[in-house]
This record gives sequence, structure tokens and C-alpha cells, in this order.
Amino acid sequence: MGGVLAASPPPPAAGSSASPGLTVPPGFGMPSVSTVVPPAESPLPNPGAFDECHRRCKEVFPLQMEGVRVVVNKGLSNHFQVNHSVLLSTTGDSSYRFGATFVGSKQTGPAEFFPVMVGDMDNSGSLNAQIIHQVTSRVRSKLAFQTQQQKFVNWQGDAEFRGEDFTATVTLGNPDVLAGSGIVVAHYLQSVTPALALGGELVYHRRPGEEGSVTSLVGRYTGSNYVATVTLGSAGAHASYYHKANDQLQVGVEFEASARMQDTSVSFGYQLDVPKANLVFKGSVDSNWVVGATLEKKLLPLPLSLLLCSFLNHQKNKVQCGFGITVG
Amino acid sequence: MAAIEELSPASGPVSTRPPEDEIDDDEDEDLDETLMERLWGLTEMFPDSVRSAAEVSAQCSVSMLKKFYSFSRSALWVGTTSFMILVLPVVFETERLQLEQQQLQQQRQILLGPNTAVSGGMPGMMPPAPGKM
Repeated sequence: MGGVLAASPPPPAAGSSASPGLTVPPGFGMPSVSTVVPPAESPLPNPGAFDECHRRCKEVFPLQMEGVRVVVNKGLSNHFQVNHSVLLSTTGDSSYRFGATFVGSKQTGPAEFFPVMVGDMDNSGSLNAQIIHQVTSRVRSKLAFQTQQQKFVNWQGDAEFRGEDFTATVTLGNPDVLAGSGIVVAHYLQSVTPALALGGELVYHRRPGEEGSVTSLVGRYTGSNYVATVTLGSAGAHASYYHKANDQLQVGVEFEASARMQDTSVSFGYQLDVPKANLVFKGSVDSNWVVGATLEKKLLPLPLSLLLCSFLNHQKNKVQCGFGITVG
Repeated sequence: MAAIEELSPASGPVSTRPPEDEIDDDEDEDLDETLMERLWGLTEMFPDSVRSAAEVSAQCSVSMLKKFYSFSRSALWVGTTSFMILVLPVVFETERLQLEQQQLQQQRQILLGPNTAVSGGMPGMMPPAPGKM
């Protein structure tokens, strides 16, 4: 069944307030979660969205891509941005995607504008669309649709309520009233101390003739320059540790154990920023004997960005390389 | 009763040495044994426990050597390719950056004189332009 899409809003909202030409492509560079620790007398801070718990550690790891990818971003106005991307793939089909992003004018924060509508369509007619809107000052809701050619594969809606020191989210996935099937996911995250946040997740899925539920607990501890998160559930365990060594080096360690597939894996990743050379390098080593690295370099003075990626699986002796160019 | 011939003491001196061609046959039979077999025969003088211990340790060391050889081969391959992927690009880029900065410094030194080559020297210091009278 289609998984729940990421709940965090895409960043064009961050770029649209800065300049008329939107330069941040959707999907790149999530807005960072603020982990500022306030003094003890003030009330507990809002812990942020539930899905952001493991996000900081995951961002350190390189993304695997293969083939050649060319992305052209063009900002048409303060509110509207368009992107074309061509993917020439070595293993699957090559494709062309056209995407558009619209950002509204209701401003809620320093760089957040709502509503945000993001959509992109494939050359075979598959559509991905997301609409994110801040309904009231505390409630943010999102609708997402995904189709495979003309058939709807994923449709979901969620509502997130941010209280003083807690966040509650309810997501309804693929509801089908006629067939009586659907998935309901409820998240709750509470700040217990300024550094510690605890929460839980409940997934209830139902199909005609079958229903089940999965629960899991989440704990996140934020230190001065590190974040440690643990998720324990009936479907497995997931622990991640993120450490910021200095301005240039960030390190992440991740441990995953799955009860269904009866296997565990440990991965170690690092990210090296060299702003003088306009370089961002991410590398990772895995317990499945997979070694991978991504190099992203801005080719100034042109607004070009080059992305080189290679993943090597020592066990199967297979290599996957890819490179991409982003214009604009 | 012709199978066994009895030698009576009256039959005269019996030659105990075989004739010449038989000597050659015997030596040929001896030469059929190779050098290795003869050396191997020498080991039969050691007791059984010593022989079995030596055999076991020899086999162990040979198999360990083979395993170590194949392990070092694959470790070298894995290490080299992982180093190539994880470390080499960063090394190239930082070296290139250093060279560029060195070159810039040299250019600044040539342009503005040797004292301004200190890092942090103001790049905006131009020699005074000839003013119009």
C-alpha cells in the first residue's frame, strides 16, 4: 500500500520571499528544524512535526540515483515556478517530467507562505500533486494525490495541529467509502523537557475482510550539537544519531531492525561542506556492504549545479553511477 | 613331487650370488623407487604421533596461507574502491582549492608588492593613479 508522504512542506515557500526568480527547486533542501533550547523558566517549545524526528539524520546520507538527469528551474514570478526534468535511466525507462509550484500570499512565518500547491506530471501521464494550506493559525492541512497514468494510486489528506508544546497529526490515506478500506494514521509528539520529546504513532488499516493496527513509540533527545532519536514499534525498531562535529562536518549513524523481514542494518554517513569550493560531499557506508557517495558542486558564476553520484555494492559487485545537472 | 627341489649336501657348492643379469634386474627394481618415495620412507623412522602432528600442522598452515592470501586480495580491492568513492573526490577538490588560493596569493603578491601577500592583506589597495594637474 502506498506509504504516507512526507508531511513537511516543500521549500519553494522559503525561496519565494527572497527574490522574484525562485531558485530553490521543490524537493531539495528541507526547511531545517529549529532545535533551539529555551531557558528553563519559559514554557516548553513546540517539538516540531512528527516526521521530522529522523529527518536530520537522514539528510546526511547520500541519495542514490542512476542515469543522467537534467533539471531546469524557471521562476516566472514571485508566486509561480516551473521546472522541467529529463531523466535518462540506465535500468528503467527514460522520462520527462513537468512540474509547477504555486505559492500563495498568506504569510505565517519569516519564510513561509501559504497555500502551497506543487504538482508534476510525467510523459506517460502520471501525476503527483500536493496542496498544503494553513487553515487556521494552529492547524495546517495537506492533500496529496498520486496517479499511475490515469489510475489513482494514492490519495490522502492530513491535518496537523500545533499546540503550545505538542503536535498532533491525523492522516487519512486512500479512503474508499464504497469498498470500506483505508488507512488512518495518528501521530502525537509532546515536549517533556526542553531537550526531550516523546511521542507515539498509531496506524490502523482496514480492507474488506481484514483490519489491523501497528503502534510505535518515539523518543527524541536534542543535545548541544547532537540529536538522538529512537523509534520502537511492533513493526521494528529504528534508532538514529546525528552529530554536528564542526561547521564543515556532520555525521549520522542509523540503526534499523525490521520485524517483518527479520533483518537489521547499520549505516554510517557523513556530510562535508566546503563552501569555499562550493562543494557538498555526502558519503555513506552500510552493513550490507554498500558504499556510496554524492558530490554536489555549484559551477559559479553560471547558475549551474553539478551532481555526481556513485554507489558500489561489494557483495553483489555492482556499481550504480549517475550524474545530474540543475540549471537555475 | 617335482614342485619342491631338495638340495642335497652332495650337490656341490651352490652359488649364493645371483648371476650378473639378475644383479641388474635387482638394481633396476630398486631404481624404480623414485627419490621422493625414498625420502618419504626415511620419515617412517619417526613415531606416529610426531608424524601426525607434523602432517596436521603442515596442512593447517597451507590452508591458512591460502585463506590469508585470498582475504588480503579482497580486502585490498574493497579498501581501494571504497577509498576511491568516499575520499578521493574531496581530496581532489580541496587540493584544487588550495592551488587556486595559492595562485591568487601569488598574483596579489606580484601585483601589489611582497608585503601585501600576507593573508588578510587588503585586496583593494591600488597604487595611486596619476592625477591630472
